[in-house]
Amino acid sequence: MAERTNHNPAQAPADSQAPAHNPAKNPPPAQNHDQAPDRNHDHDQAQDQAQDPARVGVYICYCGGNISDHVDVEAVRARMAAQPGVAVARTNMFMCSDPGQELIMEDLRAGRINRVVVASCSPSLHEGTFRSAIARAGGNPYQYEHANIREQVSWVHHGQAATDKATRLISAAAGKAGLLDALSPLRVEALRRAVVIGGGVAGLRAALDMADSGIQVLLVERTAWLGGAVARLGRLAPVGEDASGLLRGLAGQVLAHPGVTVHARAVVSGFGGYLGNFSLTLSRTPDPDVNADVNADANANADAVADAAPLSKMPSKTPSKMPSKMPSKMPSKMTVGGFVRGLGVLAPTQPDAASQDQGPLTVRTGVIVLATGHRSYTPKRGEYGYAENPEVLTLPRLIQHLADTEAETGPLLVLNGRAIRRLAIIHCVGSRQIPGIHQEDESGCLNEHCSRVCCAASINAANQVRERHPQTSVYELYRDIRTYGRGQEEMYAKAAANRVVFLRYSADDAPEVRRCPAGQGFPLEVAVRDGLTLGQELRVPVDLVALATGMVPGPVAELVDMLKLPVGADRFLQEVHPKLRPVELPLPGVFLAGTCQAPMDIGEVCSAASAAAVKAVALLSKGHVELDPFVAEVDEQACTGCGACVAACLNKGALGLETLELDGAMVSRARVTPALCLGCGACVAVCPEYAIDINGWTLAQYEAMVDRIVCRLEGVA
Amino acid sequence: MGGQASVGAQRKILILATESCAYPGADSVGQAHASYPANTYILKVKAPVLFPERFYLDCFRKGIGGIIIMSCGEECPYKGAYKAMAQRLDRVYAQMKEQGLDIRRLRLTAICTVCNRAFLNEVNQMNQVLQELDAPVQAQA
Amino acid sequence: MDSAAHSPQDSPQVVTGTGGTGGMGVFDALVIGGGIAGLQTALDLADQGYSCAVVEKDASIGGAMIRLSKVFPTLDCASCITTPKMAAAAHHEKITLLTCCDVDRLERVNADEDGGSLVATLTQRPRHVDIEACIGCRKCEYACPVLTPDAEQGGFSGRKAIRIPFSNAIPQKAVLDVEHCMLCGKCAEVCPTQAIRYDQKPEQLRLEARAAVLATGFRLSPVADKRQYGLGAIPNVIDSLQMERLLAPHGPYGRVLRPSDGMIPDSIAYVQCAGSRDASMGVGYCSRVCCMYAIKQAMLLSGSLPLADITIYYMDIRAFGKNYEQFYQNAKAMGIEFVKAKVASLDPTEGGAVTVHYEDQTGAGVATREHDLVVLSMGMLPGWQPGQVCPVAIAADGFIDTVAPKTLPSLTAMPGVFVAGAAAGPKDIVDTITEAGGAAMQAAKYLAARAANAGLARTPQARTEKASIQEASHG
Repeated sequence: MAERTNHNPAQAPADSQAPAHNPAKNPPPAQNHDQAPDRNHDHDQAQDQAQDPARVGVYICYCGGNISDHVDVEAVRARMAAQPGVAVARTNMFMCSDPGQELIMEDLRAGRINRVVVASCSPSLHEGTFRSAIARAGGNPYQYEHANIREQVSWVHHGQAATDKATRLISAAAGKAGLLDALSPLRVEALRRAVVIGGGVAGLRAALDMADSGIQVLLVERTAWLGGAVARLGRLAPVGEDASGLLRGLAGQVLAHPGVTVHARAVVSGFGGYLGNFSLTLSRTPDPDVNADVNADANANADAVADAAPLSKMPSKTPSKMPSKMPSKMPSKMTVGGFVRGLGVLAPTQPDAASQDQGPLTVRTGVIVLATGHRSYTPKRGEYGYAENPEVLTLPRLIQHLADTEAETGPLLVLNGRAIRRLAIIHCVGSRQIPGIHQEDESGCLNEHCSRVCCAASINAANQVRERHPQTSVYELYRDIRTYGRGQEEMYAKAAANRVVFLRYSADDAPEVRRCPAGQGFPLEVAVRDGLTLGQELRVPVDLVALATGMVPGPVAELVDMLKLPVGADRFLQEVHPKLRPVELPLPGVFLAGTCQAPMDIGEVCSAASAAAVKAVALLSKGHVELDPFVAEVDEQACTGCGACVAACLNKGALGLETLELDGAMVSRARVTPALCLGCGACVAVCPEYAIDINGWTLAQYEAMVDRIVCRLEGVA
Repeated sequence: MGGQASVGAQRKILILATESCAYPGADSVGQAHASYPANTYILKVKAPVLFPERFYLDCFRKGIGGIIIMSCGEECPYKGAYKAMAQRLDRVYAQMKEQGLDIRRLRLTAICTVCNRAFLNEVNQMNQVLQELDAPVQAQA
Repeated sequence: MDSAAHSPQDSPQVVTGTGGTGGMGVFDALVIGGGIAGLQTALDLADQGYSCAVVEKDASIGGAMIRLSKVFPTLDCASCITTPKMAAAAHHEKITLLTCCDVDRLERVNADEDGGSLVATLTQRPRHVDIEACIGCRKCEYACPVLTPDAEQGGFSGRKAIRIPFSNAIPQKAVLDVEHCMLCGKCAEVCPTQAIRYDQKPEQLRLEARAAVLATGFRLSPVADKRQYGLGAIPNVIDSLQMERLLAPHGPYGRVLRPSDGMIPDSIAYVQCAGSRDASMGVGYCSRVCCMYAIKQAMLLSGSLPLADITIYYMDIRAFGKNYEQFYQNAKAMGIEFVKAKVASLDPTEGGAVTVHYEDQTGAGVATREHDLVVLSMGMLPGWQPGQVCPVAIAADGFIDTVAPKTLPSLTAMPGVFVAGAAAGPKDIVDTITEAGGAAMQAAKYLAARAANAGLARTPQARTEKASIQEASHG
């Protein structure tokens, strides 16, 4: 541990990727100019192409009726077969299937075609499938164009109009395909390094897995603590593992791992670069006062009047020493690796972080894993009596109390000095909200999602209360019990055996929490129409109400902005596809792990984190990655060196003017740095000579597509 | 190929849809099986900032009735591209006026990946515009 | 265009024994099961450079998923998601597929020597077709005179004794089922490559690897186990996978019809928890997918039969995954009726309808209703019983036990053996695919550690001195 905290980055082994000069004067994207890969322009191949006229193969998918129910696929095939430049036109039940791909490959191998158009579902699903089939057959995967005739034709149009539109789109694709040059992917050297953002269970799991695979990992955590939301838990559903033990184990491995550097109290404040070579700016949160965390803990989640009284304070164990940098009011018991319920495992203070007046730190990395987690829903004032009654608290607070008082037994649960005779737990608070029934929050959002873990957490808490305090009765007010996980149904059965009372309410007739009429001897009553007893209206006087608050997306607006991350309608981060690419984002090299994506339990979080890690490791295993070659290219013969494109370029550094010798004269010409080019085309529109184009997306190709859309085609609208 | 326009080409709508927002948005309309007029031809673009002024005018000259640029708006992954393109469109509108083209034939809008309703609205509105603009032309013919 | 670029890797790699003497192979990892869990695991391992053998009992990879119609909550067609992964696995240079293979024994040998290795003894059942020679042209299938109920189509339609297993099967190779073959010789007559082998014998294969991932999936709990629901003998009571076939684009009728008389059903009922959460069947657990697949099927049905009434009898709706609750609320808004009730029993009627007796928990106790077609939402049972085959621990629920379900969900009690997907308990596709990635990560780490111990460091950069990721700067 000691050598870790004393580790000085300045003495780090020389990094082959790192420039020798002072990087502070050269921000990371600019550093890489000399290493930026040049496109492997294969001139021989280009010449071959020039001699070899385009022969387009057109392949049209039935999609098992998805397309063929609305598009007369055979009629389209016949029309395409008759078009100039089209060498073959074929159909298949499932083009994405092996026999479908084989059709293309066979035509390529036989030399019948040298360009491919597939007309099927959205390119987001199968463009890659077909490009790879072309490559396997020895063709150039970039001499491919996709026509989307399912999502954008057969699912939205019918009859002759659908068949005609499909014909036009395929014809346009064939027009573009005929103009597609052979391209090669850009090869980018990839740093075998990963930055994990978030030090909860997802971040810890992903960091460990990648570090064990030989990747240098930097773990960034906003607080001084590792463990995230799990730090607030006690005995875990369904079999009662101890959350603190679990965290100590995971965080301990991370802290001891020579391949992981933890940057606690740091946030990402800047982002640049690309897959294989991202740069992130880390800013430190100002005050490395761990003591403040411990004191603030009672208020950090302090969501209700009841919670104002501290539930937990300090760790019960006594660690051995106190870090020298800790402020004097720091309790003498905290040390790196120590655990405090509600906060987590104390992370080491980086030496550079400890010194004052340090500016932001820039780090370079090959991949980024987002493990930013969730936050717990905060009920609105008055929602089930929340914040208006001291006897109403959230389930996370109750769970933390149960964890803090684990040793305590007794006939009755005692909370803040009050004996609890009856406890009601209301499910689905802030989850499964329905438009028209529930009220939107200030930003007009509803949490329509199920938070997945609260049913098991509620029942687990109920069982603990019943088993430790047999005189405290527990009522669970639920909509559906979702104990789906392994061992959870058994836990639910145990709750019934423990005589936990289950009452079922419907979303449009939610329970009401109100002050109990005087003389009843209870502060609150819960009124509920119970669906399990034929809709009987029940009034249950209680001492305490716990609200099973769900998971809502964490505060990641700044990251979303910086990295342009996609966010779903539920406001969680949105993967590319839940089944095809469940831990990936459209931005290559950035992965999702854990509850930043959706509610999950701990085991599911660890699976997701490992799944993200395996993708990252596979990407970095070769030390380089290949990127699409869709970047700007200058026609040096046509370019006059006017510099209009350089001025228009949106990613400064991607385009510049350089002097070169052309036909014996020194001339100024625009030059593209492909690894920095975004491929947006801002330069294309401003070039007075039409001398710059985006490979694979040229203006001429668009013009050809428009021509095919408007041209006369016999019998086609 | 490009010479003669087909019958009804003046009613054809070209949609330039960004690959990160509007194009998946159009897919999302398909996934919902929401029907819309079939005179719409969606071309996927990385960013519509690529197209010079002449591209739009050429499209109209070739017989395209209307063009909807479905961009990412504020969500544009290319910082500055939206502004550059909006400025370009002002120049296109000026040239359209010079050539006697109704500027409602060209529209810039932002469509996100789940903007089904907005997508359908845009398509329907452009069709209304084209119907209105085409009616007198056909009466003369 | 260089046609010589055609490499042998263009067709799926398949290991076969030679002449009945048995084949063998050495791999980094064995993946038992070629469903979506096994394929994703193999792809994630192979993408890191580890060689994998995928052992599949059926004649095609793809598992349960390739047999589904559309999948929740996106309503993508299952085939569109599965086929690219199947094709990617089949074409991956590091992946070898073995179909029609049963695992006879999977054990660790020489465990004291640096962890030893895992040895799998397999029996490759005869296809009665030379898999190298077969070109998948289906001429044999068209010529075969034998028609027998097709289990791939829920038993609703017929298939030939020799056939390609299904349209998007991988490998696209014929398989002859001796049980129904009359040995008429017609297939051998028409086969353009003389690939038919009537006398093909089972072959023993021996595979060796350092790690294994069990991705043995599930089977549907049988309707025949459920006395109250007619033991599978009531007409027009079908299970959910049969409905899946009725809804599939390649389905037996091309549309949804009642099996007994071909009537278009006006009223369809789903009985939830028909094979789950039911101690009487020995299945106390929740099968996790039945609520969602019933809702999905109901939505697809209301699309294909807009006039039909669809009722779902349920105990709790468990729509817990990402976007699942929204999917459920959409179904309610579409008019699908959800009745909170436990179905007590089913009875046939003369007209072919089915009487549902249920206990309505919101109304007046016991009630009955007739439906034209009843779908039993059967649950998941383990797809494989390791029994004497493999000394891996099984939990009380019958699925493979995991020893660190929170932090390392893919770890089994057997070192070097990992588990992914429904082999470790019921699971939907999304969770299965994620878990498969996780299992591949843990298996890869195990392999890397073994290689490091053996002094065969795969990655020279690995475990070097701690290099810092931050060479840059304050500023």
